[in-house]
Amino acid sequence: MLLRKGETASALAAIALLVAILASANAVVNSIKIQAEALGAIVNVSETYLIMSSNSRSITDSEIDAKLANQLKTTTDFKYILPQRALTAILTVNSGNYTVLIRGVEQADNFLKARRAQIDGTITRSKTAVNFGEILAQVTSVKLGDKVKLTAGGSTLEAKVVGIVRTLTEVDVELIVPMETANNLTGGDSKISLIEFALKDDVDADEALNRIIASLPKDVRIVKTQQLKKFMQETNKQTLAFLNLWSLAVYAVVAATSYVIATRLVTESHYELTMLRALGAKKRHAFTLVLTHTAIIAILSSMLGITLGTVGVQAASAALRWTRPDTEMTLFLEVWQALEILLFTLSSSILGCLYPASRAARIEFREQPL
Amino acid sequence: MKLTAFRYLRGRRLLTLALILISASTLFSMTAFSLLSLEKGFSTYQGEGEDIVAIFDRRSRTPFTGVVPAYLTERIGSIHGVLASSPEALAPCFVENEPVFLRGIVPEDFTKLDPFTIVDGEMLCLSDIGSMMIGKSLAERLKLKPGDKALVLAVLRDRYLELRVKGVFQSHSATDDEILAPLYVGQWLRGTDYAHVSLLRFKIDRSMVSSSRIFEAVAKEATESGSSDVRGWRPPDSIIRLVRAQFKIGDLGVEEAHRLMETYLNRYGVTREAILILSVMVFIFSSASVAAASSTIINQHREEIDILRSIGASEKTVKRDIMVKLLPWSLASSAVGIVLAAAILVMIQGYGYVQLLSHSVPLDLSPIVVVLNSALVVSLVATIIWWSHLQ
Repeated sequence: MLLRKGETASALAAIALLVAILASANAVVNSIKIQAEALGAIVNVSETYLIMSSNSRSITDSEIDAKLANQLKTTTDFKYILPQRALTAILTVNSGNYTVLIRGVEQADNFLKARRAQIDGTITRSKTAVNFGEILAQVTSVKLGDKVKLTAGGSTLEAKVVGIVRTLTEVDVELIVPMETANNLTGGDSKISLIEFALKDDVDADEALNRIIASLPKDVRIVKTQQLKKFMQETNKQTLAFLNLWSLAVYAVVAATSYVIATRLVTESHYELTMLRALGAKKRHAFTLVLTHTAIIAILSSMLGITLGTVGVQAASAALRWTRPDTEMTLFLEVWQALEILLFTLSSSILGCLYPASRAARIEFREQPL
Repeated sequence: MKLTAFRYLRGRRLLTLALILISASTLFSMTAFSLLSLEKGFSTYQGEGEDIVAIFDRRSRTPFTGVVPAYLTERIGSIHGVLASSPEALAPCFVENEPVFLRGIVPEDFTKLDPFTIVDGEMLCLSDIGSMMIGKSLAERLKLKPGDKALVLAVLRDRYLELRVKGVFQSHSATDDEILAPLYVGQWLRGTDYAHVSLLRFKIDRSMVSSSRIFEAVAKEATESGSSDVRGWRPPDSIIRLVRAQFKIGDLGVEEAHRLMETYLNRYGVTREAILILSVMVFIFSSASVAAASSTIINQHREEIDILRSIGASEKTVKRDIMVKLLPWSLASSAVGIVLAAAILVMIQGYGYVQLLSHSVPLDLSPIVVVLNSALVVSLVATIIWWSHLQ
């Protein structure tokens, strides 16, 4: 009774086109997400982890019990376990004093092997022998065989440079010493800064990590050193956060459009609504009628809009690929995204039609003398 | 017959049209402003001026993943007319659990291209072991200040390291959201050797040298073979020894810095024109709502229009009169929509929601959007009124 061919079509079109904007925007964002994931797949992600104290911001702040490393060594999931003590010390050489990071390791050869180090000289094995990173050696003008003085927390130690290493990592600006030397400089406590480990290739990483986490005390945490997937997710979240806010503007227009559609319905169906009231329809019937009309329009136009948006954006992408063959776009819409759009469109449409629906409910039939 | 004196359009009903026009204008302006801001933010990422030229890896799919021989900085830097050169290693990484970009630089060279002010702490030197400088916006976001230490986790390679904040800087550019560290730190995190960087940037005197001249010099280098040390490069502490790295000329490109970024954007079909077309499409898609609102206005004033027609006003006269009376409403609604969109964007930018790859995007409130919006709104309302039947 309230449906009019022209008006209903224009109402459907008005909301469907708005929904199409949302559907196409979501499809474009999905394409960006796919691109980012494809880029991520190019890089081989390694499975190296650190065990550090939970409250530490950096490796020199971290302190964990040295016994933990021995405890972990009893399990067979590891490719290697490298307990380390990292501390900041003053390095005194002929060219002056420098603040440097010293890394105490249990087995320097294993540690340097994991870093694929090239070494000029020998690997440190005694507590008075140190390995210098290549860049640190250049900055401090230290050469192989030089004597250096290390000072940390009141303790001073003299050592000889027995090797200069190039790893293309942070070790190139560090001093590598045996764990014993690091402990002497820190006052001989039984603490270490971190445990670096990698899992065996044939081990299920998730299961192994769960086992390791279960065996760890509560005051330590595990950090994955290469977080490519997380980086992609976090940067995608930034795009999604903006898209969500922008979508609010579209839903505001949907609400305003529904308001207009419902207002028009009430204006044009004033006679019919009055007749219904005269025939005994209650206020809530008129209210429900307008609400149902809007809900049906919203659902139908959502479906139409989602189809239009997805197909439209695919057509635009095909046209773009035709003019620019190197354009890389994979446009699609997830089912949950389509449902989300439908749900939000329905909600904002209902919100928009509440006032006109209440006006429809206030329409009264008054008997007038002829 | 003149209808100007007849005040038959009711203000309250016009508010419905105004509401729709404001919503559509807000949507169009928000879309256009934000997309243009993103495009501008991205294209000026490596420098705005036409005097900044970059050598980059043509094969890379992003500006962060290319590799170019570092020694070219010396070769190109010695060309007459090249005023400054800066080798840079860009690396995505995690700091304080936040995704950020670290730029490995030679500080003395970098500041000649992108000068900045130290707002806290001290300036970084290439020989500052284990130190970094942090952009003001990022420092505020990560709550880091000079003297603080942070664990940096690489993304493209299996690396981690500890860096101490030496200073906080402000450049009023994209680098305010980045970490600056010595070149070799960027190379570790990016996963290159010391012979390669992500890109090379040069400041040139355009009256003396052009990007094509630089490309010729690069091409000449590509034809020379052999591996030897490169002497004469300027890092004052000679920390990094540059080694000639072989390359194919087809792999490298030379572009003005802003064109370089546009090259990457264009690869994904993003151009300024495409953005404006997309925004106009958004407006056109929302124009069905404006059409519905305009015809509702006509329907609501059907009685008044019929009276005017019955006293002799022609359809054209009534339409013209309605259009004239709706013009100020349309313009005002358009203006309100633009202001509302700008206010919303400024607000959400303040909360850090307008970001592209962890870089805050400076808002580009382009006048073209204002003009286009007003023109679209007025012409749309006029067209709908003109095509409606007032019989």
